[in-house]
This record gives sequence, structure tokens and C-alpha cells, in this order.
Amino acid sequence: MDHSRRKRHIGWWLLLAAAIVLTGIAFAIMWRPALAPQSAIPSFDQARIERGANLAHLGMCASCHTPDLSRPFAGGKPMETPFGTVHSTNITPDRDTGIGAWSLDAFTRAMREGVARDGHLLYPAFPYNHYVRMTQADIDDLYAYFMTRPAIAAPARDNAMTFPFGFRPLVGFWNVLYLDDAPWQPDPRQSAEWNRGAYLADAVAHCAACHTPRTKLGGPDLTRQLDGGEAEDWYAPALNRNSPSPLPWTRAQLHTYLRTGMAEDHAVAGGPMQDVVMHLAQANQADVAALAAWTHSHLVQAPARTTPAQTPGPLPPPTAIDPDLPRMQLGYALYANSCARCHDVGRAPSSGTALPLQKAIALYDPDPRSLIHIVDDGIMPPDGEPGRWMPGFKAILDDGQASALAAYLRKYGAGQPAWPELDQQVRKARTP
Amino acid sequence: MSTYRLQVNGKPHAVDTDPDTPLLYVLRNELELNGAKFGCGLGQCGSCTVLLDGQAAMSCMVPVSVVGARKVRTVEGLGDARTPGVLQQAFIDEQAAQCGYCIAGMIMQATALLEKTPAPTDAQIRAHMAPNLCRCGTHMRILRAVRRAADVLAGGKR
Repeated sequence: MDHSRRKRHIGWWLLLAAAIVLTGIAFAIMWRPALAPQSAIPSFDQARIERGANLAHLGMCASCHTPDLSRPFAGGKPMETPFGTVHSTNITPDRDTGIGAWSLDAFTRAMREGVARDGHLLYPAFPYNHYVRMTQADIDDLYAYFMTRPAIAAPARDNAMTFPFGFRPLVGFWNVLYLDDAPWQPDPRQSAEWNRGAYLADAVAHCAACHTPRTKLGGPDLTRQLDGGEAEDWYAPALNRNSPSPLPWTRAQLHTYLRTGMAEDHAVAGGPMQDVVMHLAQANQADVAALAAWTHSHLVQAPARTTPAQTPGPLPPPTAIDPDLPRMQLGYALYANSCARCHDVGRAPSSGTALPLQKAIALYDPDPRSLIHIVDDGIMPPDGEPGRWMPGFKAILDDGQASALAAYLRKYGAGQPAWPELDQQVRKARTP
Repeated sequence: MSTYRLQVNGKPHAVDTDPDTPLLYVLRNELELNGAKFGCGLGQCGSCTVLLDGQAAMSCMVPVSVVGARKVRTVEGLGDARTPGVLQQAFIDEQAAQCGYCIAGMIMQATALLEKTPAPTDAQIRAHMAPNLCRCGTHMRILRAVRRAADVLAGGKR
């Protein structure tokens, strides 16, 4: 009797010990200390600031942190994630609402571990899982750049997370799964330029944040690197052997595309990629060439494809063998009357060349989202930026017409199998 | 040739024409509504802007066959020389025209904005008006005119 009671006691003690150990582990995963505020902003030499500016362009920091051009880096851009809406924060050196009180150590910790100065965990919409591999010298330069920007008072906007993701310490578990702090390693078999591009693409420009698919937990699916992901409901094309491009990219085209958003007779940047281009245009062009070299080395793995013939004049109307004939005829009529005057082979509008239909990469994407956005909203360069202009057709085409046009373009423009659930995708893209 | 029934500025019309005829041609040539202008014919300039169910659309890019039951509105529907609409009056007050070719499109583009967003910020006006070009260079006056119309509609600040 006594004996068994003692045994039961030991059981309870073991359980308690296990609970303490687990709590300790959870605490270690979820809790980070605050770092002391710095009393004053140090001064920096101009060369460091300029190197930092280049890195800020290559990392496209302003893309998220400057939604309002009149208030650079003051934050406030909402980003929709599967876990709720996250707002970018103020990274100007304002002491109270920005990062003016952050020492270099605090800034470095944020970049490498995703932890704010006061110890709260940042959401991985901020791609610290890439910046973790930046060199310390680059982080130092970036710090010099941000600490010398004009301070703007702009308090963080409240995020709207779905339960339970409003509890930030949970991000700690994401970090266990996805934050790989192994330093970046060059590949000795590749050229110096390729390695520079590889470093910039991974640790700074974070290309994979959009171009690699994500898991259900919102982390990169590392088994499918650069296999095509998404950005703001656009399909971000695969950059590897699964590239949807109907024509192979040349390295020169890619370099021009990354600098200008336009590769003559090959591609025009749309959606979030326009922002990327806008920033890369201001970066050191040797670095952009390196990014192109690295990206191109992946894109060349795509097998050669036979593209549909580039026919002059409107495409032939679908034949009676097509079971979807009325819809295809509607799509054809819409193409011929609205799209063909710019997109048909041999017709170049006065303000620049539109892509001939058969070359439009969006027709070859595995899903229709990018095409729907292009048809609906056109292609409009960011405010004040040069670029190709395509008008949007949302006001002109109703849901059924837009869907018929997309179905027709997919089949008779690209010669690809129909997209599943096209009608639903059109409706979804148009739901405000 | 087919017959298309259109509702333009609240009035029904029946037009016999080819399905690929741009709505702009129907408005100007068949219905004699000459406010909307032909500029580029490629949806690049906006001088042909009209409203389709309240949304701004470049009518040179709209085949008449896609319009269906949607309500078409043109600058003529906003008012006339004797009784100009609020936006038309604001454009007059700001003298927001040089040659005037783009103005009907500008006013319709602005109408779409103010009906949906009665109190726009300057940035919203700028972004919304971006598709419409004026090659005389009266953009700044045009932006002021839209601002003025918004203020008038908000309760007559001016």
C-alpha cells in the first residue's frame, strides 16, 4: 500500500519535471529579451551609406515599407497572408515610432532572427529567413543607410490576424521549422558573378519569397525551390525547369527585363514584379547583371518547347469539333475586336510593341490568376515610372466574357489544356 | 449586321451595325453624341472614355456586341452648356482645357471616381485619372477641377 503510493508520487514528480522542461523549451522558442535602446544615432561615412542604399534597392525594402512615396520607409502597407493582414512597419530612424532607438545589435537581430528591439517576434512577411544569410558587413551598411533617412513619425498600424496568430510568440515555432541560420556558402564551381547573383538573390532580393511555393504553414517548400509561387494573388512564375515561358529566356533579355520590366518581343513585367523592376533599376547594374546570370542559370534548365505558330492576322476561329464552341467563338470575337489591334502578330501600336499573343507568358501559367489581373486591370507602370501601358478591361467585359476570352486565349493562343475552375477564378479575382 | 439595343444617357436606342463596331463609333456616328473623341483607337489615351454601369471604359475598345444591358453614359448626359453638371462647371471654373479634345473623357473618368469615392484624396484623384492623357499640358488644372467638384459635392467649400 505504502509502496504503491510512493510509486504514484514518483509518477507525479516525473510529470511535473516533464512539464517544466517543456515549458522551458517553449519559453526558449517563443521568448526573446528586449535590447537596450541606444541613446543617440551614431554617424556613418558616406561610402557605407551609399552601399546601404544599393542593398536597400536590391532588397526592395521600399516595396513594402514605402506605400506612400511622400513618406519613404514610414511603413503601413497592408499585406494579405493566409494568417491575416500584416502591416509593414516604420523603419525610419524616428525614436518613438521607427527604429531610431535600435542599436546595430538590435537591427542585426531583427534582420537575422526576426525579433524587434523590444523582444517581440516579427511576422515572416518580413523575409528575415532570407536576410539571415546576409553578411554582417552588408547588414552594417544597410543600418547606416536607414539610420540616415529622414525620421518620420508613423505609429505601426494594427494587424488583423486570424486566431490564434495574433499571439506573436507562436512565430517562434515557425522559426524552428524555417529559419536556417547556416551562413551563405559560395559554389566554387561557379563564376564570381554567378556567386554574387546567388548571394543577392537569396540573402538580399529574396526572389524565392514569391517564386518558391509555400507550405500550409506559410514557409518555403524547400523540395520545390523556385518552382513558382504567388505574390498578391499573382502567379509568380517558376524560374527553374518548370518555367512557363513559351520561348527560352536569353541572359541579355533577362538582364534588360530586370532593369526595365521589358524584354523586347519576350515579356513585360506586371503586378508585383513592376515594383521589383522599379527598385532594381536604381541598383548597381553590375549587381543586377549578376542576378540575371544566376536566374538565367536556372531558367536554362527548362526544356525546349514547341510554341504555337506565330500566325499573322487573327487566329483562325475554332472549328466545329470543339465541344465548347459557343464560348470559344465568343472568346475569339472578343480577342479579334479588343485585343488583336495591339496583340496580333505584325501589328505594333504607336506607343510601343505589345507582345504577340503566342508569346504572352501569362497564357502558359499553371493557373489563370495573372492573366485575369492583366485583362482586368491592364498593365500600368507605377506612378511616375516609364513603362508599357495596357488598358484594363474590367469595366468592358462581364465575368462570362472575361472567362470566355481567357479560355480562348489559353486554348488557341497557347495551345495549352484548359485551366480548371476558370469561371470561379474570374469571379474570385473580381470580388472586392 | 445585327440590331443592338443600347441604353444611353437613360434613353433606349436600337442600332443596326456589325458586332465588332466600337461603341465609340456607334455613339458618334449613329447616335450623334460627339462628346467622346477618337484619339488613338488603342486604349492608350482615354479621350473616348464613357461609363458602362458606372465604370469608366475606353469606348474605342468596346465592341458594341459586349455592351448588352449595361447602361452607357456620356458627357452629354451630365448637362449642357446652359445647365452644366457639377464636374463640367468645375472644369469651366478652373479653365481646365486648352484644345479640349481630352476633356469629355477626363470628365467621364472623374465622374466614375466621384460617384464611387465622393471625398477622394489628391493621391486618389491622381491615380484614378492616370489613364487619361492631355497633350496640351493642362493636367494640373484638370486635377484642380476634379478637386473642386469633389469639394462642391461635399457641401460647397468654395
